[in-house]
Amino acid sequence: MKFLCLECNTAMQFKEAAKPEQGSLTAIFECPDCFAEFAMHMNPWETQMLKSLNVQLGGKSEAAQPMQMVRSFLSEQGGATAATDQNTQTTTMTPESEGGKCPFTSVVADAFQEPDSSGPVWTPEALARLERVPSFVRPMAKTSIEEFARENGHTEITTDVMDSARGSIGM
Amino acid sequence: MKTYKDLPSDGGSNIVGQVTQQVYRLQKRLASVRYTVAIMSGKGGVGKSLLTANLAAALRLRGYDVGIVDADINGPSIAKMTGVRSAQINYDAAGVKPAVSPSGVKVMSMDLFLKNDESPVLWEAQTQKDAFTWRGTMEVTALREFLSDTEWGALDYLLIDLPPGSDRLPNLVDLLPTLGGAIVVTIPSGVSQLVVKKSLTMAKAALNIPVIGIVENMSAYICASCGKTEGLFPTGNTEETAHQFNIPLLPRIPFDPRLSIAADGGENFLEHNAETPAAKAIIEVGNKIETFFQYSIASVARSDP
Repeated sequence: MKFLCLECNTAMQFKEAAKPEQGSLTAIFECPDCFAEFAMHMNPWETQMLKSLNVQLGGKSEAAQPMQMVRSFLSEQGGATAATDQNTQTTTMTPESEGGKCPFTSVVADAFQEPDSSGPVWTPEALARLERVPSFVRPMAKTSIEEFARENGHTEITTDVMDSARGSIGM
Repeated sequence: MKTYKDLPSDGGSNIVGQVTQQVYRLQKRLASVRYTVAIMSGKGGVGKSLLTANLAAALRLRGYDVGIVDADINGPSIAKMTGVRSAQINYDAAGVKPAVSPSGVKVMSMDLFLKNDESPVLWEAQTQKDAFTWRGTMEVTALREFLSDTEWGALDYLLIDLPPGSDRLPNLVDLLPTLGGAIVVTIPSGVSQLVVKKSLTMAKAALNIPVIGIVENMSAYICASCGKTEGLFPTGNTEETAHQFNIPLLPRIPFDPRLSIAADGGENFLEHNAETPAAKAIIEVGNKIETFFQYSIASVARSDP
């Protein structure tokens, strides 16, 4: 994509990438003549597409690391294993640890950081009640209640929260 | 008002230049590889990966330096078949060291990056919803990195094990326009022939890729006790397919349970079963590949400095 300042009929220049939010990357462009700026907000799919090409807005300042895309973006949830950097003898795999190596990758990786994944805490009473759910459906029930708690802003799952969840998940 | 072509750049990102740099990096890496061969089918479950692993072993027996790229990003199996699943991925500024099988075949596979048997290939994303919009690009980029960022060193043959689907070869050719040739794998069923023909049309007519030949896998079952040969898939006609597309019909590989046992154990089938009909056929396919590149005009042109 190229951007034109209609006022000056001049090609606009990339200025910076703003801190992304919820997977949406924002790039700011500036007209070199009148210094007018505009922001381009990419939707998460456009941002992901840019990420999948392993290219960098504003131009790459350094060469890509070996297998940068695979090592940076293979989800740990999907079971990414660690790789050993023979120069530093450090284990490198997560997007966080890759962050310093590629500015754009870092920016996009930030955009894809999941919110706190630790999840709500179960009280002993709630856990005891969960134990009464038949074992073969217990994992599904637990996940559903945790999801309900997260969506409704509960940091702790009590028996009251379970009662509230009951209607929506049919317990 | 200025148009797209009037503007000298994209504002400083030079996305096209970055992609060009990636291509250059790939070309530089593969400059030390003499021949690249895609093992393809279009049809799943015909034994592409098993043939790839065994062809690599066959070429090693001939004294060649051989590597395998497992291009099946989502269903990698080459690492298991070659016995390198436990290999640690090591990298430095020059690239990633490939795993090396006991028979000396260099291997790069997504399997080496996954934590355990149950781990699927899942990419970091804000949401996996509508991931079809970008997942394909992710996979092609992963394949490009496997090709360009693995420290292959000097290789005589780099075998590329493609997943099923007639779109896979065009993706590979986009990355690797100098692909030396393709081996097409089928089984002698009518259904397989139907799908494989689409891949052959893609390879020959659309992409003009030299097809080294078609391999009929699981061509027959040879009884281990009495030696009697029985057909497994009597409905297809691989010979006719080969004739229709004017490509060589390479040696047929009979079904042999020991192939599967060796693959599951990550062992070299050819090493312990060299006198079996299946091993002899695989070795002969390897010889045909060697002959193809020795005599093909394309390889002569490429060997010129």
